[in-house]
Amino acid sequence: MKTALAVCAVVLCAVPFVGLPAFYESFLYLLLSAIVLATSWNLLSGYSGYFSFGHGAFFGVGVYTTAALAGKLGWPFLWTLPLAALAATVLGVALGAVVFRVRALRGELFALLSLAITFVLSTIALNTVDGGPGIQVMVDMPKIAPTASGVLYLLMLAAAALTLWTAYAMYHSRFGTGLFAIHDDEDVAEVMGVPTYRFKLAAFAISCALAGLAGGIHAIFVSYVTVAETFSIALAVNVVLMSALGGTRHWLGPAVGAIAITMLLYAFTSGNAAVVGRALSGLILIVVIVAMPAGILGQILKRFRREPPARPRPEAILTDLHHAKKSGEPLLVVRGVAKAFKGVQALAGVDLDIRRGEILGLVGPNGSGKSTLINVVSGHYAVDRGSIRFEGEELVGTPAHRIARAGIARTYQIPRPFQQLTVLQNIALRPMFGQVVMDRASAEAEAWRWLEFTNLADKAYRYPGELNLHQRKFLELARALASRPRLLFLDEVLSGLTPAEMDGALRLIRAIRDQGATIVFVEHVMRAVMEVTDRVAVLTYGRAIAEGAPAEVMRHPDVVSAYLGAAHV
Amino acid sequence: MKIDRRRALAAGGALLSAMALPGVLRAQGKPIRIGSTLPLTGPLASLAIIHKVTAEICVENLNKRGGLLGRPVEWVLRDDQSKPELTRTLYEQLITADTVDLIQSPYATASILAAMGVAQRYNKVLLHTSFGIPKLAKYDMQFQTAGSPFDPENVWPNHIFDAAAKLPKPPKTIAIVTSKFPSVHAISVGAREVMKKRGLTEVLHLEYEFGNRDYGAIASRVKEANPDFLWGGTNGIDPMLMLEAMKKIGYRPPAQAHLFPAPGPMLKLPEAQGALALTTFESHAPFTDDPVIAQFVKTYGERAQQAGIPYTSVDLQSAIMYASWQVLESAVTATKSLDDKTIGAWLKKNEVKTLFGTLRWNGPQNYVEGADLYKVKQLQQGKWVVVHPTQWAAPGAKLT
Amino acid sequence: MPSATLLGQSVLSGVFIGALYGLLGLGLSLSWGMLRQVNLAHFALAFLGAYVTFQLAAVAKIDPFVTLAIVAPAFFVLGMALHWFFLRFSVTLLNTLLVTFGITSIIEAGIQWYWTADFHRMENAYAAVRWKLGPLFLALTDVITLGFALALALGAWAVLRFTDLGKAIRATTEDAPIAAAFGVNEKLLGFLVSGFAASVAAVAGLCLALNHTLAPVQIYAWMGVVFAAVMMGGLGRPIGPLVAGIVIGVSEAVTMAVTNPTWAPLVSFSLLIVILLLRPARFS
Repeated sequence: MKTALAVCAVVLCAVPFVGLPAFYESFLYLLLSAIVLATSWNLLSGYSGYFSFGHGAFFGVGVYTTAALAGKLGWPFLWTLPLAALAATVLGVALGAVVFRVRALRGELFALLSLAITFVLSTIALNTVDGGPGIQVMVDMPKIAPTASGVLYLLMLAAAALTLWTAYAMYHSRFGTGLFAIHDDEDVAEVMGVPTYRFKLAAFAISCALAGLAGGIHAIFVSYVTVAETFSIALAVNVVLMSALGGTRHWLGPAVGAIAITMLLYAFTSGNAAVVGRALSGLILIVVIVAMPAGILGQILKRFRREPPARPRPEAILTDLHHAKKSGEPLLVVRGVAKAFKGVQALAGVDLDIRRGEILGLVGPNGSGKSTLINVVSGHYAVDRGSIRFEGEELVGTPAHRIARAGIARTYQIPRPFQQLTVLQNIALRPMFGQVVMDRASAEAEAWRWLEFTNLADKAYRYPGELNLHQRKFLELARALASRPRLLFLDEVLSGLTPAEMDGALRLIRAIRDQGATIVFVEHVMRAVMEVTDRVAVLTYGRAIAEGAPAEVMRHPDVVSAYLGAAHV
Repeated sequence: MKIDRRRALAAGGALLSAMALPGVLRAQGKPIRIGSTLPLTGPLASLAIIHKVTAEICVENLNKRGGLLGRPVEWVLRDDQSKPELTRTLYEQLITADTVDLIQSPYATASILAAMGVAQRYNKVLLHTSFGIPKLAKYDMQFQTAGSPFDPENVWPNHIFDAAAKLPKPPKTIAIVTSKFPSVHAISVGAREVMKKRGLTEVLHLEYEFGNRDYGAIASRVKEANPDFLWGGTNGIDPMLMLEAMKKIGYRPPAQAHLFPAPGPMLKLPEAQGALALTTFESHAPFTDDPVIAQFVKTYGERAQQAGIPYTSVDLQSAIMYASWQVLESAVTATKSLDDKTIGAWLKKNEVKTLFGTLRWNGPQNYVEGADLYKVKQLQQGKWVVVHPTQWAAPGAKLT
Repeated sequence: MPSATLLGQSVLSGVFIGALYGLLGLGLSLSWGMLRQVNLAHFALAFLGAYVTFQLAAVAKIDPFVTLAIVAPAFFVLGMALHWFFLRFSVTLLNTLLVTFGITSIIEAGIQWYWTADFHRMENAYAAVRWKLGPLFLALTDVITLGFALALALGAWAVLRFTDLGKAIRATTEDAPIAAAFGVNEKLLGFLVSGFAASVAAVAGLCLALNHTLAPVQIYAWMGVVFAAVMMGGLGRPIGPLVAGIVIGVSEAVTMAVTNPTWAPLVSFSLLIVILLLRPARFS
């Protein structure tokens, strides 16, 4: 593989020196430029799902930076290229820093903002840097190739290599996995420990930098830049098309799409068939995408996907999760926590102690606030007031991903796995971003243990959509366990299970506690609660009304009336 | 009968030499290939079709007359989709892969600059038709065929204001509304200077972004400024949009000029009558006094109709393309060569008579400073007629 | 400082162009929000409608409004055909963008092939009619555009809000399987929405033909700003693009009245950005 790559690299670098007509160099330049733009767009938009319609803006910033510095001020143009990339990055970071902080700004809104930025920048450029007449960029080319086209080709080749390497590296790193998780379910990703704000900002910055770089080189290629040409909406739309056509889920997808579309564009430049050519290229596009809905590369990969061999069974489950400290002392102390949603007071001042090493049952009628309590502890929602101390540290105000790092995990009542990641990847995500940050390989090894533990090992490479409810619940469980949490919230893991499955689940839960985790067990199935818990707490109307040994608590008059109305006994 | 051998030989020889007589009735031999691109698709396509039809007629006529240097001419045309980066790549293809003998002009400043860069690298002569900013043309062997001066920002406003001075009511107050499209913007900037020198008062100065859709506010501001004369630094469809916006608010400028409007749409608009504009050629005498040109005008009208083009008169766009082929033919014929250097050297020292005047290239950057072949036309009762300078004006035409 | 008349006239002008944005955006918003289809071809369709209107009016001498009786139903069928195509091939959201881009190219090429890339202006008697409201002028064609925009946007909103049909559509949008369990015919509704969106394009085309000079390249000129209006107004909300379009149009017009017009897009889009950042929850 490596040798093939090296040979490719040598061949590509040799192109300008082989004496081909300059036209081929220019055409390859156009191809490479498309690859850079599509791939860089995909780094944010394809990976994380934050669709940007503003890629043209950052490209334009790069174009005008080089045009102004090299064309107007006469700087040597190679020096302007890093500045072009930098200018685009700074702008992207400035925009992202504001935009990504706003939680409600997802999907279409980000797309809209990025589109609006294009108009704003284009008007600013028209009235300041450019002023109207456009900028002519006539520069001396460094003599690194026999022809000017050759030089530009080599520059763009370097940019493309950089871009593809970046895409590859990101794809295979925890950064990439985190972005894919954000794509599928950002809130859950955050709760699983992915630092969503930082990751989105970083991906955006990288994406803009590469676009700016491509822009800087492009200013030299066309040698005369105008605002209308540079900031057109065509580029914004084209990068989306290229990435979608090739496949947005793979690092090489956009490059494949870029090559396909550039060649399509080029196939019809004969003077006689120009208009027909345009219609034909549209038709071809339609046919291809209908035949290959996952994108060209995506479809090819699907066809040829081989099941990786099942891993050899790892050794038996580790004996303990943590150094068992003295049990019995409070691990999580909740005081006066309140949370309202538009007039519904879900939590009305909850006081609760969770002791280390116990299995605490959390029960209460529907709507009493159990899930909300889990959500505020794990950081999914922010509290209105109150305090939550975990091992002495205040959790209120901490971002969810840091809470996850601290060692708190939870399952979701309705399983929320990342649909486009495999079962293995879903579970491996937690250890990657957990208390002890692991790299991808170790995280996957860790994930295998939990796959074994929950009997999902043979489903490792399947997608969550292919699992039944029972398996998905266990996936939730494995996911929560994989980070070796100190405190685990199980939100109705038993609902929908058969009695036999339920027994298996309860055995699992005891085994987890025996390895040193503290468990909060939210359930409606009373027999399970009575069987497995050490203590029980009861919530009604957002308040904890009883806490203690199971049998006592269930006979408490307040509890009885909460469940059954006034006592008739 | 005994055939006299000598006589037979002489007859045969005469026959052979008659057949070999260079291209009076027949061009033969390996074709001369001339390559260029046009924006056949994309935003500039509306202009490209005029150029294409014109060039096709030119090449046809050329071949009817025996081609160039006795050889047939083949025009290799490609579609640059209105994108300068494609123009550059396609010209490189034409020159290095298709190895055409000569190249011809693409359309508009950005594409011409892209082609100029390629021409420079391969030492090819570039004749070009539609370059809007002469000072940017820094290549030694580029030659414009539009009759543009080196300083259009100075010459063209003077043309227009000279013509305006001949109006029944010569204007004193001017409102300037200009697009920020590179070439027309530069002219408008120059117009402000010219106005100062001529003692005209500027009562309004507005710039708008090329591609603007809403001219309501602009129309209202012009109406409020109440100028004698509207200077429209506009091209394409903008004048039409502006005038229609003015029509909606019941305003009509007393007099106006627009630099390069699309000629067709304005014809029937009452508010546009009397507008001045720049041109090199219009389809009336004295331009059509030459029977060859009159024939061209007729042919173009037929072809344009066939092609579905709404405006079938030959005017500025068609003429500059026609002129470029006239120049090409003259230079090649005079130098009997397809060598670019030779052609370039010849053009610098000579002049070519075209359908709208005599082109020369003996000034700065192969332009001429202070002089040009542009005229001012006026829309009169649904027809564009040249009104200034008088030697080119339609017979009996007056400024109304 | 501009006079009140100038400002007033400019604001009116902004409202009218905003109406056209809203009209163009209505169909796009409905199919994007309700059917999860990003129909880029909507613009091409509107221009095709404009050209066909032009052709019928200029050549067959039919009154432009009468042409609507021909074009709108024809487009309704086209819209349904498009929806059928998406269903048949289970085209996902992202891929609808690609497919409709391809369709745009085809329609654009078709228009250019038949009518050339050169400009066409539909002559009509309505263009000359205007009224005076105090010191302000109102052109008939503008008022017609605004009328259509309001009628269609409000009508669609009313249908969605108050009728059973509308409720069924909203239910399907939110949760199709559950709605189907309640007897809602998702397919039929999809066809209805898609057909309606396309006929709105026909109306937009008529307004374009009445008010503007046509050229195929303009298909792309409107894309950016209408997309912005659609996203701004909230996908699937019929009144959204109209309101957002008017906000954009008026802010640009006022800028052009008060300062150098070349700054207009900066003001309108900065305003958009600021609104989005301050009140994002309103638009999700």
